[in-house]
Amino acid sequence: MTYVLNRLLSVILTLFLITLVTFAITNILPGDVAMMIMGTQSNPEALAGLRETLGLNDPMLVQYGRWVGGMLTGEWGDSLIFKKPIAELLSQKIVASSIIVVMSMAIALGAAVPLGVWAAVHRDKWQDSVSSTTALLGVSLPDFFWGIVMILVFAKWLGWFPSSGFVDPSENFLLAVQHAFLPSLALGLGLMAHLTRMTRSTMTGILGQEFIRVARAKGLSEGTVVWSYGLRNAIGPVITIAGLQIGYLFGSIIVMESLFNYTGMGWLTYQALLNRDMPLIQATVFVIAAVVMLTNLLVDLLYLAIDPRIRLG
Amino acid sequence: MNALVTVDHLRVEFATDSGPVVGVEDVSFAINPGETVCVVGESGSGKSVTSLSLMRLVEFGGGTIAGGTLTFVRPDGSVLDVAGASPAVMQDVRGNEIGMIFQEPMTSLNPVFTIERQLTDGLMLHRGLSKDAARARALEMLRQVRIPEPERRLKQYPHELSGGMRQRVVIAMAMACEPRLLIADEPTTALDVTIQAEILALINRLKREKGMAVLFITHDMAVVAQMADRVVVMYHGKIVETGTVEDIFENPKEEYTRALLAAVPKLGEMKGKAAPEKMRLIGDEAARAAVAASAPMQRRSEVLLEVKHLTTRFPVKGGILRRTVAQVHAVEDVSFTLNVGETLALVGESGCGKSSCGRSILRLIEPTSGEVWIGGRDIGALNRQDLRRARRDMQMVFQDPFASLNPYRRLKDQVAEPIQNFGLARGQELRDRVAEIFDRVRLPREFMSRFPHELSGGQRQRAAIARALAVNPKLIVADEAVSALDVSVQAQVLNLMMELQADLGLSYLFISHDMAVVERVAHHVGVMYLGRIVEIGPRPSVLDNPRHPYTQQLLSAVPIADPRKRKFKDDLSFKPITSPIFPLGHVAAPSTYTEVGPGHLVLNG
Repeated sequence: MTYVLNRLLSVILTLFLITLVTFAITNILPGDVAMMIMGTQSNPEALAGLRETLGLNDPMLVQYGRWVGGMLTGEWGDSLIFKKPIAELLSQKIVASSIIVVMSMAIALGAAVPLGVWAAVHRDKWQDSVSSTTALLGVSLPDFFWGIVMILVFAKWLGWFPSSGFVDPSENFLLAVQHAFLPSLALGLGLMAHLTRMTRSTMTGILGQEFIRVARAKGLSEGTVVWSYGLRNAIGPVITIAGLQIGYLFGSIIVMESLFNYTGMGWLTYQALLNRDMPLIQATVFVIAAVVMLTNLLVDLLYLAIDPRIRLG
Repeated sequence: MNALVTVDHLRVEFATDSGPVVGVEDVSFAINPGETVCVVGESGSGKSVTSLSLMRLVEFGGGTIAGGTLTFVRPDGSVLDVAGASPAVMQDVRGNEIGMIFQEPMTSLNPVFTIERQLTDGLMLHRGLSKDAARARALEMLRQVRIPEPERRLKQYPHELSGGMRQRVVIAMAMACEPRLLIADEPTTALDVTIQAEILALINRLKREKGMAVLFITHDMAVVAQMADRVVVMYHGKIVETGTVEDIFENPKEEYTRALLAAVPKLGEMKGKAAPEKMRLIGDEAARAAVAASAPMQRRSEVLLEVKHLTTRFPVKGGILRRTVAQVHAVEDVSFTLNVGETLALVGESGCGKSSCGRSILRLIEPTSGEVWIGGRDIGALNRQDLRRARRDMQMVFQDPFASLNPYRRLKDQVAEPIQNFGLARGQELRDRVAEIFDRVRLPREFMSRFPHELSGGQRQRAAIARALAVNPKLIVADEAVSALDVSVQAQVLNLMMELQADLGLSYLFISHDMAVVERVAHHVGVMYLGRIVEIGPRPSVLDNPRHPYTQQLLSAVPIADPRKRKFKDDLSFKPITSPIFPLGHVAAPSTYTEVGPGHLVLNG
C-alpha cells in the first residue's frame, strides 16, 4: 500500500514539474500569443489591447496559476489555428492515437516475447541467431522506412490495407483498425528489438536458476517450466521497458501519423508546432506527459501483481 | 536384496566449442532400498553430474549420457532404463518416483508463486488429485517436515520464509509423492550449522519412516560420517573408492581418500592442546616436513587491537518519506583485545553480526559508537586522509576471491596496486617486492602475469592474501576466507596463513562459521549472537568448556567426521534466532560479563 501511495505521489510531483517546464518554455520562446493571433504586421495599439485582454501583462505566476487552473477545470481554451476548443480537439485525437499506441505495443510484445523466449530456450543455437537478427533488422532501420515499405507492400501491391487516412472507431471500428494497422506495424517493428533482447536476457537468467531445475525435478512439462515458472519471473523487466517505450512512441507517431496522414495526436502536435499554436502546444505536451506517466504507473502496479516481493516495500 | 538403482559404467559428456568434455566416466555403484549412499568429492569431482544423470536432468545443462547404463526399479517392479527412456516417461518418474532436493533453499523455490501452488502442482500432475485433495496433502506434508503454522505457510511466498523453513518446504515438495528414492544434492551446504543439524535429522527420520533410499551428495566428510550407510568417493569424474561408511573412515584404501580425510578438521581433536596446530596434509611431502619442523609459534603479550564497546546499527527505512523506522542492531556493545601474532576467531551463525563487526573495525562501515584502537591509534578519530594511511596496517581477505579480485587486471598489477597506493616502492624495487610476495604465498612466479579466471579457487585466495600482505599489514581481517574452498585446499591456505603469522607476527581476526576450523587455528574464540559476544576467551577454555547456552547449542549441532559418533537421529529443534531489529529509541542494555575462568568471559542475563 505504501508503495502505491509512493508512486502516486511521485506521479503528482512529476506532473507538477511538467506544467512548470511546459509553461516556462512556451513563454521563453520568442513571439507571444497576441502577435500570433494578429500577425507581425499588426497595429501596436491593437496588439497591446489584445495582450491586456488575454492577461499577458499579468505577472508570470498569475498567468501560470490561471493556466494550471484552466487545465484542472477543463477550460483549456481555443486552438489558434483550428479555432476550436482544445479539449474537444484533444479528446478526439487522443482516441485516434491510442489505437496506434496500443496496437503497436501489442504487435511488439506479441512478437518479441515468444521470439525472446525461443532464443533463451535455444541459447547459442541457430534459433538464437535468427531471433537476434530479426530483432536487429527491426531496430536498425528507421521506422519511417518501415512505414514506406508497409505502404508499398501491403497497400500498393497487395492492397490489403488502406495506405492513409483515419476513421473514427465509433463510426466503423473494423475500418478504424484497418487504417491504424500499417502505422502500428511499422512502429511495432522498431519497438520489438529492445523487448526481444530484454526477454531473451531476463529469460536466460531465469532459466539458469535453481527453481527451474526444481520444477523439472518435480516432473513438470517443459511447457509449464518455461512458460509458467520461467516467463512469469522474466516478464517484469520486459513490461517495464515496454512502459518506458510508450513515451518514445508518442515521439515516433509524429512522423508516422504524418506519413500515413492519420489525424491523431502526432499529426496534431506537428500542426501545432508548425504554426506556433502556443495554447495547443502546452496542452498537447501536458496531455502526452500525463498519459505516459499514467501508463508507467499502471505498469508498476502490474509489476506489483506479478512479483509479490515488491509488496513488502 | 535387489538394488533399487544401479549405475554401470556411466559416462557423461558435455559439448563445448572445442569438442566434447568428459564430465564423469566409468562410474558404477548401486543403491539398495532403504539405504543412504553418500557420494562425496570436491568441486569438479562429478558428484552432481552423477545425481543429475539419474534424473536425466543433466541434459538441460548441456550434458549427454554417452555411455553406460542407469536402471531404476519402478513401483510396479519393472526395471526402467533411465538413459533410454522417453521424455514423457522421465517426466512421470521425476518428482513422483524420484524426488530431489538442491543446495540453495533461497533459490530453490519460485519467488512469484505461493508455497501452496508449488507444493500442489506436482501432486495434481502425478497423482491426479483435485485442488482440495492436493491442498490437504500439502498441509500434511508441511506438518511432517515440522513447519509451524502450516495453514498460514500455504498462502505465503518464499521470501516470507527463513532459509531453514524454505529447505523444509523443498523437502516437503520432494517427498509429496512418496518417492522411492530421494536425491539430496548438498542440501545443507548453504545452511547454518543448527539448521543443518535439523534438516539432517529430518531426512533421517523420513527415510526411516518411509523406508525410502537416499542418494546424498556432499563435499563435507563430517556430514558423510553422520548420514551414510555406504560411501562413494569421487575425484575428477571418476570413482576413487566405495565402501561402507565405517570402512571408508577407519580403513581407507586409496591415497586420495586418506588425504581427504586427513584434511578434514575434527571438532574436539585439539582437546588438551594449548596452541593452534597446522592441518595435516598427506601426499604433499614438503608440506608434511614443514608441519613437522615448524616450531611452536611465538606469542608476545603485546596488544595490537583493542575494541571497546563497539556498536553498529543499520537504519531500516519505511513509510512514504523513507524515514528510519527501526534499527538493525548489527553489532551491540562488543569489546575485546587481540595480541600481536595471535588469532581471535569470531564465530556465529549468519546474521549474528560477525562480518559487520570486522568491517566496523576497519571502518569499511561506520560504527555507531565505541572505540577501536590499533597499535595505539584511535581508528574512530581519524579523518579521511589519516584513515587511508592507517589502512596500511589493516587489510582484509574476503570469502569469495573471484569476486574480490578484478577480473580484468593481471595478478601482479593487483598485488602491486596497494604498494603503489601508499607510495612504498616503484620500478625494479616494486617488481622485486611483488615477486617476493608471490613466493611467500607459494604462488609460482609465472602466475604473476595471469588473470584471476586462469587460477583455481585456492590459488585465487592465495592471490587475495598476497594482495593483503603487500603493504606489510599488522592486522588481517579474514572474513570466511576459507569457507568457499575445498577441504584439501582449505587446509593448504590455513597452513599458509599460520606460517605467515609465525614468520611475520601477523594478527588475524578470523571470522568463520566453521567450529572445527576455528578450533584448529585460533588462540582466542569469541562467540557472537544477535550482535553481541556471548562468550569469549582462550580457545581451549571456550570450546572444551562452553558455558553460555548458545555456545553449547552451537557446538552440539556441529557434525563430527566419525561415523561412530552419530548425533542426528531424531527430530532436533534448536531455538530459532530472534530478530536483531529494534524500534527507534530502544535502549540496549550494556554487555556485562562474568569471568568463569582465566580470561574466559560469559555474557550475563
